[in-house]
Amino acid sequence: MKRRTFLKVLGASSAAVATTACSPDDVGKLVPYTVSPDQTVPGVSTYYTSVCRECSTGCGIIAETRDGRTTKLEGNPADPMSRGALCARGQSAVQGLYNPDRFRGPMQRSGTTWKAITWDEATTLVAQRLGAGAANGLFINQHESGSFNTFLEQWLAGAGMRPHLSVDFEADDAAMQAHREAYGVAWPKFDFAAARLIVSFGADFLDGWGASVPQQLDFADARAKGVDAPRFVYVGARRSLTGLNADQWIAARPGSELAILNFLRGQGTAEQAAQAAGVPAAELQALATELRAAQPALVLAGVGTDDALEVARAAAALNQQFGGVGTTVRTDQPVVAYDGMTPIRELFAAVEQMRAGQVPVVFIRGTNPAYYLPKGLDFAGAMAKVPFKVSFSLYPDETTELCDLVLPDLHSLESWGTAQSTRGMVSLQQPAMDPVFPGTRATADVLLGITGRRTAAAPATGAAAAAAVVQNNYRNWLMQQFPGGARAFAAGLASGMVQGTLPARAATAGTMATSVRRAPALAQQQGDFILVTYPSPVFGDGRGANKPWLQELPDPVTKVLWSSWVEIHPDTAERLGIERGDIVEVSANGKSVRAPAYLYLGVRPDTVAMALGQGHRSGILDGWFEYGDTDDDAKRVQWGYGRYARNVGVNPFDVLPAGQNDAGGFAWTSTKVTLRKTGESDTLVSTEGSARQHGRGIAQALTATQLGGLMHGGAAAAEHGGGHAIAGAASHEFQPGLKSPVAADAQGVLGSPSAENQGKDKGLYDPNHPTRMATRRWAMTVDLARCTGCSACVTACYAENNIPTVGAPWQNATVYAVSKPGFNVTRGREMNWIRIERYFEGNEQAQFGEDFETRFVPMMCQHCGNAPCEPVCPVYATYHAPDGLNVQVYNRCVGTRYCSNNCPYKVRYFNWFGYGEEDRKQYAFPEPLNWQLNPDVAVRGKGVMEKCSFCVQRIREAENRAAMEGRELIPDEFTTACAAACPSRAIVFGDAADPNWSVSRLAQDRRAYHVFEELNTYTAVVYLKKVNHPGATAAPAAGASTTAPATAPAAH
Amino acid sequence: MSTRSKWTAIPGLLALAIGAVLLSAYSGASSAEGRGPAQPIDFPHPVHVQQLGMNCTYCHYAANKSPDAGMPAMSTCAGCHNAAAVGPNRPKRGDQPARTSQPLTKLFEYLDIKGGGVNAKPVPWVRIHKVPDYVTFPHMRHVNAGITCQSCHGKIQEMGQVYQAASLNMGWCVNCHVKGYDPVEGRKLTPATDSLPAPHPPMAAPHGVAEGATPRTTPSFTGERKTARYDCAICHY
Repeated sequence: MKRRTFLKVLGASSAAVATTACSPDDVGKLVPYTVSPDQTVPGVSTYYTSVCRECSTGCGIIAETRDGRTTKLEGNPADPMSRGALCARGQSAVQGLYNPDRFRGPMQRSGTTWKAITWDEATTLVAQRLGAGAANGLFINQHESGSFNTFLEQWLAGAGMRPHLSVDFEADDAAMQAHREAYGVAWPKFDFAAARLIVSFGADFLDGWGASVPQQLDFADARAKGVDAPRFVYVGARRSLTGLNADQWIAARPGSELAILNFLRGQGTAEQAAQAAGVPAAELQALATELRAAQPALVLAGVGTDDALEVARAAAALNQQFGGVGTTVRTDQPVVAYDGMTPIRELFAAVEQMRAGQVPVVFIRGTNPAYYLPKGLDFAGAMAKVPFKVSFSLYPDETTELCDLVLPDLHSLESWGTAQSTRGMVSLQQPAMDPVFPGTRATADVLLGITGRRTAAAPATGAAAAAAVVQNNYRNWLMQQFPGGARAFAAGLASGMVQGTLPARAATAGTMATSVRRAPALAQQQGDFILVTYPSPVFGDGRGANKPWLQELPDPVTKVLWSSWVEIHPDTAERLGIERGDIVEVSANGKSVRAPAYLYLGVRPDTVAMALGQGHRSGILDGWFEYGDTDDDAKRVQWGYGRYARNVGVNPFDVLPAGQNDAGGFAWTSTKVTLRKTGESDTLVSTEGSARQHGRGIAQALTATQLGGLMHGGAAAAEHGGGHAIAGAASHEFQPGLKSPVAADAQGVLGSPSAENQGKDKGLYDPNHPTRMATRRWAMTVDLARCTGCSACVTACYAENNIPTVGAPWQNATVYAVSKPGFNVTRGREMNWIRIERYFEGNEQAQFGEDFETRFVPMMCQHCGNAPCEPVCPVYATYHAPDGLNVQVYNRCVGTRYCSNNCPYKVRYFNWFGYGEEDRKQYAFPEPLNWQLNPDVAVRGKGVMEKCSFCVQRIREAENRAAMEGRELIPDEFTTACAAACPSRAIVFGDAADPNWSVSRLAQDRRAYHVFEELNTYTAVVYLKKVNHPGATAAPAAGASTTAPATAPAAH
Repeated sequence: MSTRSKWTAIPGLLALAIGAVLLSAYSGASSAEGRGPAQPIDFPHPVHVQQLGMNCTYCHYAANKSPDAGMPAMSTCAGCHNAAAVGPNRPKRGDQPARTSQPLTKLFEYLDIKGGGVNAKPVPWVRIHKVPDYVTFPHMRHVNAGITCQSCHGKIQEMGQVYQAASLNMGWCVNCHVKGYDPVEGRKLTPATDSLPAPHPPMAAPHGVAEGATPRTTPSFTGERKTARYDCAICHY
């Protein structure tokens, strides 16, 4: 080569470098505060106490706020009810706060179009309308405990309007009325741990029946008692999440619960009750015997049929009869969050008044009756008869679409308030941040402004008017009302909980509706199947559907997501030739809905079940409201409850009549339907995989008897596992692997401190290295006896670790795009770092009449000491850290996915598309959802593998804090997001190498095992076996099918 | 050169080119080292640090207690450059005559001195030092370990216009973490007047677990090279 040629080539290659190298020049701006807020440090989180308003319970929460933006919610440990736990719905409140489909400011309808107006215009409009007389006007508010009720009542009285309706469609009116009659409180505390037997008649106390989180904490505590834990029997036509946690399922036909309860109370015979219920008489007889022997018992009832009140009364009577009141039913610590709630029958009556043209004006805040009221009531038709309708909704939901004016409220995390969930304790709701959208205003302040507009005959001008507004705001009102005044209010903000009692709202029951329009009894109806409907444990009455985390959260029972489904028993399905995923049509009252079939063991063959929560629709064709002329998704909102909810699934209430139960509550299960196979079929969006373990021993369990043997003998240790040996069971061989930071055979000589290896540089892996990194072994225990499968951990993980949701219809490939919600999930592209695997045991033939058991296993990266993923990575992007973490280095990863192929636990997830990249259509965090992103965690790009990191950012934060304070880590000082959220306290995280951490004690438990221990992976996650309580008499007679033919007339 | 040898040379040249690309990438050719863009206000670090003897953490107030060093709030500027100085905003001092300083005029515009500060706006400083999203850099650990600001940011006290003094590439970081930081060398970069930030008092823990905390001692300027953890997951997560 000539010298000239060489230089030419050199020049060309240098030029190539210059043009192809990434440009690090554009690194943005550093914008300081104008005035630095007190007590905040940039880059360090500030924590504000507040109250969760995602359901009526009102748990105390702590909002982590970084640089003015709320990033994460956790339970407030000072709250005696929720005790620091928070459910999935509560976790996702931040996605309500940052929802891209939030109204930016007030809007007015003109004809079929909407236009943005100013607050001035809006308040003037309302004030004018009220001035014209609103005596019979209605205010429908989503029920929330605390002072807002009282405030609203005062304001309405001032405006000459009637007391407001404080509604919660998820609440069980019948149960509350029965509780009041029998116990004197609307909702007592159920002390599950004090009971020896729990019997639930459709009372889904883990699914949202009552105060979910406190009840789950108490239930898990009871189940954690191991040998002494109460047995749990579930009676109902459909096994809900609560039902799946039961030791025994009595699959009673809907409407037969009263007969069973009466039999248990000593009226009638077992045969009569069994005839009505369609279950073997022996099962009921055994239950009766057990109930008499196992005292105190706890009997709960929350059925959906038209006789719900009678059933609830009978259950309460049973508690009184068997001495449960005072021990298992604690009336001294009631949940008072539901006091002042308006029964649903009044909402139904109000709709009739609207239809009759008696209501001049309607205000609706925080609730969406146009979605959740059964279409048989025709809420939209009634609304059309009201001349002036105002919505305070944050979101473009179905109800708001029917209104004339939108005055968008602030989110609960942006506003002031108080809540009273339990007697003698007030929780304070303070804003965790400034409003996301400056154009939104707190409803209370808007109402005060309207009053000011109406009363100011000679309007004050300039500074005087401004001063009056400052004085006259809701926060000042709140502090004046507060027990102890403003001083006590301010002092209480630190803990969020203050001793005291708020003035109760005067009961408004009976002001509107006295009569009950009871649904016709099921026995008198035509139709092949009884339709069981229930509020989704994920979406509630539908209000969760606009939050992508909840859409992406698999239903705890069926593992279906981004979709609706019809639960059909396999027997029925076989008879009708229906397979999983076949689209079936459910019809009643001349209307029908179509949804894919899900074959479910836990539903009676003569019933089908559907959840409320999905199926949000909009009548507005284009569906977008644009702020300014823009196609920018960040600057427009989608009608139909937002882009994540619209046209996802169906609403079963489209076919339901407005049936009430005998308490005037809504009768969820009051309709017979016909089922038709349409012939269409589609892949069911589900993360289920196989519902069976196929002998893999992933979810292990033992009976209470076996556990007793373990505890008292040890000889029985080798025997447990259901008679057949499960690999890896009954050994503690993993303990050395867990104890040492790096398993010996994983790191070879590096991990072995033997004499011949002395002198070799083991670097950080040497426990004596100055950094002392290798003295720790981060580990986790998961107690399957506690885990209920509620999935709060899953959403907590999404929130903490910036996990993208992938199921939105526009998030799949650009080529061959399929606009099906959840399409990516059907391709296995979901990114749930922690998932809840749900396995059925028993009843292999899927025959009705044979009981089955359910096991839930939270499955996340096991942080193996001897990890199969590590040696196959060609670029060392995954490796074992000295402190026991299996680390994924995103910037090293080139996306070969070898690691995922080699992972026996299948806990590694690949970024198929640019979910974290703003300029791609798959972007999972459209403005302002990206405000929630945890600044401590990298947002992963396309083509990168990711997985559970044991919340390494929390480990490092705690280490940094300890180092700054010149101390060692304190045992149990911090925990991972999943463990912090868990309302069962099933997950415990910590340093297994230090005996002072809880996790190292729990890992020694006799129930401890590793999943796939036979693979010698030396995992850092230790599972504690589930404890079953089969009961002496409950062994189902194998093969003895007692199925009543589904087509037979119901013997009710 | 014959045609044949010309053709055989191409793969070799190609390999050479690839090698050059890789080598330049490895040696940090993609770093923004030396970049020093113009700022909205010509902020003179030398005046503040050398003439007035201000400590870095007077303005970058979070450097010893947060992962972020912190940019001073506009109110911090206004604390010294108060409104009385409108007009000739540099009053006569010693033998220096009063004069109008252009940077200060700009500052007062941002502070909205004329309007009483009602429409005060923050200065959009152009960011210079930035590590990628997948890197976590805690300032407070480094500052409290006695590492001088200048060790990474260069002699800021002499920079009329701040530029990126170090490459900020991973090799540059790891070099210190493995081989150790020499406090004596780091001290040589600082102005004589400068003192290290005082050790930060125990931080308020989120859930009140600050028990057992002891006050830190002032980092020493002598002694051995100080090494640190260099495991990937210390910075990458």
